[in-house]
Amino acid sequence: MAKKKAATSTKTKDESKVLRQPAEVMFAEEIDALIKADKFDRPSGWKMSPRSVLTYICGGKCGSMDIQPKYIGHQRLVEIAISTLITDRALLLIGEPGTAKSWLSEHLTAAINGDSSKVVQGTAGTTEEQIRYTWNYAMLIAKGPSNEALIKSPIFRAMEEGSIARFEEITRCASEVQDAMISLLSEKRISVPELEKEVPAEKGFSLIATANTRDRGVNDMSAALTRRFNIVVLPSPNEIETEIDIVSTRVREMASNLELQSELPSQDSIEKVVTIFRELRLGQTLDGKNKVKTPSGVLSTAEAISLLTNSMALAGNFGTSVVADADLAAGLQGAVVKNEEKDSIVWAEYLKNVMKKRGAAWRPLFDACQEHNG
Amino acid sequence: MANLVTSPVPALAENGLAHVFGVRHLSPNGAWHLRQFLDQVQPEVVLIEGLDDADELIPDITRPDSNPPIAILAYTDCVPVRTLVYPFARYSPEYQALKWADENHAKASFIDLPSDVFLALQESSLQNSSQVAADEELADPLVDAEEGADSLNEEKEDSNEIDSGDQILSPPSRASVYSEIAKLSGELDYDTYWERNFEHNSASESYRLGALELGAGLRDLEDSRGMNIAENLVREAYMRRRIQEVISSGVPPEKIVVIVGAFHAPVLTTDEPAMTDEELASLVRLPSKLTLMPYSYFKLSSQSGYGAGNEAPHYFELMWEALQNDDLDSLAPQFVTRVTRELRKHGTYRSTAAVIEGVRLSRTLSALKNGLAPTLRDLQDATISLIGLGERSVVAESLARVEVGTAIGKLPDGISQTSIQEDFQRELKSLKLTKYRTAVKTDLSLDLRENRQVKSAAAAFLDLRRSAFLHRLHLLQIEFAKPVAIKQASATWAEAWTLQWSPEAEISLVESVLLGETVELAAGFKFKTEIEACHTVDEAAKLVRLACQCDMMASMELARRRLQELATENSEFVAVAQAASELSMIVRFGDVRNYDGRPLIPLIQDLFVQGAMALHATAGCDNASAKNVFIAMDLLNKVGQEHHEEVDESLWHEKLRILSDADDRNPLISGYACAILLESNLINNEELAKEVSRRLSPGISADLGAGWFEGVSARNRYALLARQPLWEQLSDYVNSLDEEQFRRALVFLRRAFGGFSAAEKRNICENLGESWGANADEASEMIEQPLTEDEQQSLSELNDFDFDDF
Repeated sequence: MAKKKAATSTKTKDESKVLRQPAEVMFAEEIDALIKADKFDRPSGWKMSPRSVLTYICGGKCGSMDIQPKYIGHQRLVEIAISTLITDRALLLIGEPGTAKSWLSEHLTAAINGDSSKVVQGTAGTTEEQIRYTWNYAMLIAKGPSNEALIKSPIFRAMEEGSIARFEEITRCASEVQDAMISLLSEKRISVPELEKEVPAEKGFSLIATANTRDRGVNDMSAALTRRFNIVVLPSPNEIETEIDIVSTRVREMASNLELQSELPSQDSIEKVVTIFRELRLGQTLDGKNKVKTPSGVLSTAEAISLLTNSMALAGNFGTSVVADADLAAGLQGAVVKNEEKDSIVWAEYLKNVMKKRGAAWRPLFDACQEHNG
Repeated sequence: MANLVTSPVPALAENGLAHVFGVRHLSPNGAWHLRQFLDQVQPEVVLIEGLDDADELIPDITRPDSNPPIAILAYTDCVPVRTLVYPFARYSPEYQALKWADENHAKASFIDLPSDVFLALQESSLQNSSQVAADEELADPLVDAEEGADSLNEEKEDSNEIDSGDQILSPPSRASVYSEIAKLSGELDYDTYWERNFEHNSASESYRLGALELGAGLRDLEDSRGMNIAENLVREAYMRRRIQEVISSGVPPEKIVVIVGAFHAPVLTTDEPAMTDEELASLVRLPSKLTLMPYSYFKLSSQSGYGAGNEAPHYFELMWEALQNDDLDSLAPQFVTRVTRELRKHGTYRSTAAVIEGVRLSRTLSALKNGLAPTLRDLQDATISLIGLGERSVVAESLARVEVGTAIGKLPDGISQTSIQEDFQRELKSLKLTKYRTAVKTDLSLDLRENRQVKSAAAAFLDLRRSAFLHRLHLLQIEFAKPVAIKQASATWAEAWTLQWSPEAEISLVESVLLGETVELAAGFKFKTEIEACHTVDEAAKLVRLACQCDMMASMELARRRLQELATENSEFVAVAQAASELSMIVRFGDVRNYDGRPLIPLIQDLFVQGAMALHATAGCDNASAKNVFIAMDLLNKVGQEHHEEVDESLWHEKLRILSDADDRNPLISGYACAILLESNLINNEELAKEVSRRLSPGISADLGAGWFEGVSARNRYALLARQPLWEQLSDYVNSLDEEQFRRALVFLRRAFGGFSAAEKRNICENLGESWGANADEASEMIEQPLTEDEQQSLSELNDFDFDDF
């Protein structure tokens, strides 16, 4: 239960040294202001009304205070997510990698409970104990089963407190582990046979799980488990401007973090990369006039960011320290062509049918890509 | 609804001309409230916003055998045809008002401008419509959620409404005001705003008073933005005039109920002036006709391209039924259940538990906005989340079935004289085809080229226009004209048709009015549905050609897009090559139809690249399908030659070369690729010789060599025969073989040359003779000599040749 220890230890440490604060600490001011100004009913176990949660996530005004938007673009999805949590149903956020699933679940719990730390990280090695409870074995052997020897999982604790637990990447877990969730979600109680007791969940308990679309078919959720969730699919950013913004901001941050020895890529190259990513991802050109084939890779916003930082590293260490088209081309080749035979045809068709026709501004990049795709 | 008559009769407003009931067109709750209101007031006259001259159609509308959706259709009887459609669903307040009047023996009458004035106004309002569209940008995008919630109770402040009957006349720019109001109240769109605030409230008088306030609010908003539309003022003045006429005919004002769009409701008072006789006389008019036509829910929904604001006719019909049963709460479960049942019918199972959760979620979503019941949007989102498991695509079709439905209206025989029939007559006349409208089969042959002996352009291209018209009829499956196939080598200017009129043709013509009001519009709509239904590249290419034949350029663009889309989804080589070749034909022969094919060239380029890229993968096929691939390769090669300036021919050649060198593809096709290259002189003798010896080298499987050779020779044998070094190489190769190897080589060489004619074989002999230093005659004598018995024997042994030895 490393998660638990980590959560408690952050509180004791000097907060300024922490690499990344949880949402409820980072945005404590906003949360307090919203709670103070709240004039609507709160569901039991909630710190603020559903409307205030919506304002917290999607931004707005609270008295004189501006609430920063945390999730931009799809307010309706946030409404559905919040409504789900009101109805004691569990919420499942599905999306491509890098569509802010965990981000949204963290902020939802931060706003609803003021606590985003009850997390189970799903991995191939997650065991059933990690989602129910386990024992302090020294104590268990010394004293036998007792409340003191019981180590509760974040979900266990959420049930006791009537708050919301998070389950990240639920589809990474083996099916038998996933199945352990079924009884928790339908009976809403957890039994500890060793202590001959059953702990019922308090009102306000719910679960936000996230799952990755690209993991489909690895450990697919069973129908029985799926049935217990309301499902919200998070899409990629709607507008190209939004995406360009996200990419430029993140590239700037990462460049200073990683101390890359290169100038930032020009706005123009960022736009080109985002354009290419979007067109290949959506399977059509931005003007909607032409369809293009989609490659097997994800081509998420997150990948565009890493492509650009990679090109910066290339340019800084082996090039002229200015991100050139050749640096981008190398990155694009790697990002698009994941499966040699199929993707290189997709990429070649895109180059010839779309990029080549874009005229002089795209010419150098086209030539560089053409060379790479040989 | 007799039990509801208990509440007191509403008093006439102080400055009221008569009782005014503001509605939204196609509003079930409006219809329900209206009927209650009528029951209370018991009017003698019911006046409805609608084309004044359509009164004579009212008895047909209310006939028990007329089944909504139906529509009043007004159209000009001259070109260009302008039309006005005024649809009624069962739940239209106007329809229910007519029904009520019929049942209670009250007089019903339409009071809006007559159709001839409307159609004349249409022209000018279309021109003014494009100005205000940018306004939406000015709205503050960040609206506090709380503010949004509050405004739900104050719809008077920020409300506006579509005026009822004239969706065609409302310029699209006004939509921006609506969406702004929706935004202000925290709703996603105006429809949701309306539904949440007006459709769920069954409190007595809530609808009428709410709509009145809404109309006033909208008028203020438009006033403040200087967006007053003159047309509305004219219409309102006319309506006041009509109401006063009725009053002066002796009906007391409190015995009149006026049903108009909410927008007009506030101004039908004594405070405003009615239209004077001079003003009436000064209105521009276009001669027009009126008829009833059957309508469909599909057409009524916005999916059909009409902005007529009723996205989900079937859903609203369900709502109407629920209102009738006084059970609006059942609508949400009904909706989700029906969608789920549709889904199950198509093989996707979802449990009843999921339906229950879906209904619950939709109710919570609605509660989040202080709604009384879930709106359509809430239901959709809940259904997608629970039944579609988050994916819209899973439930999209089922949703459409439940929302839009498939209902088609019905009218008794002989009531409808539609605009498409008139249009058909007019076209026949202008194309001088009227005499062909007989039951006798007549042939008609057309020459599409310009007739240079006549004066006007219309006459010069008469046959071309006839052809386009007949192609359109053919597309609409109106059995008047049947094309007759004729063969014309390398030209496409002649066409032959058989014309014959029949009652069936008349029926299908009338039915086509559901697709559009004129032959051209109907053909355009039909074409659009065909494009949506088409799934292969070559079908789409044929549609492109059809659009060209029908002279429908807008549809051509649709088909072109669809083709491009399909080509990307599935680059099947043969289909892509056929499509490219089809387009290339259109570009080359387009000018006979006055068609400029240049917009198609980028698509030909794309297809060419796709074809070239797909060639290698396709070449892995078996011998049976190789023939089709040959044909497709020819087509694409021809496209490359025809458009060598536009398409990337070098890519094609590069791919051919790779294929020609490949050992892991069907050798027949590899050989064929080589033959194409040979023909274009892209392989020099040395390379060819190298390839021949590689293909024929010992240890290589027989098929690889023989098949390849067969492929090479399948194309242009003369190009092959003219290549002396090829034969020298072959001869050297044969010489280098030892006995065993020779036996084997003989088997496949014999197969490769089996298809050659005697003359060609003789040519080969000449070639060989040359390299052996013998003259042709000696060589051929040697070869054509009858076989000796020994040789016969060893040849027949070869039939059992066992290649496993190698």
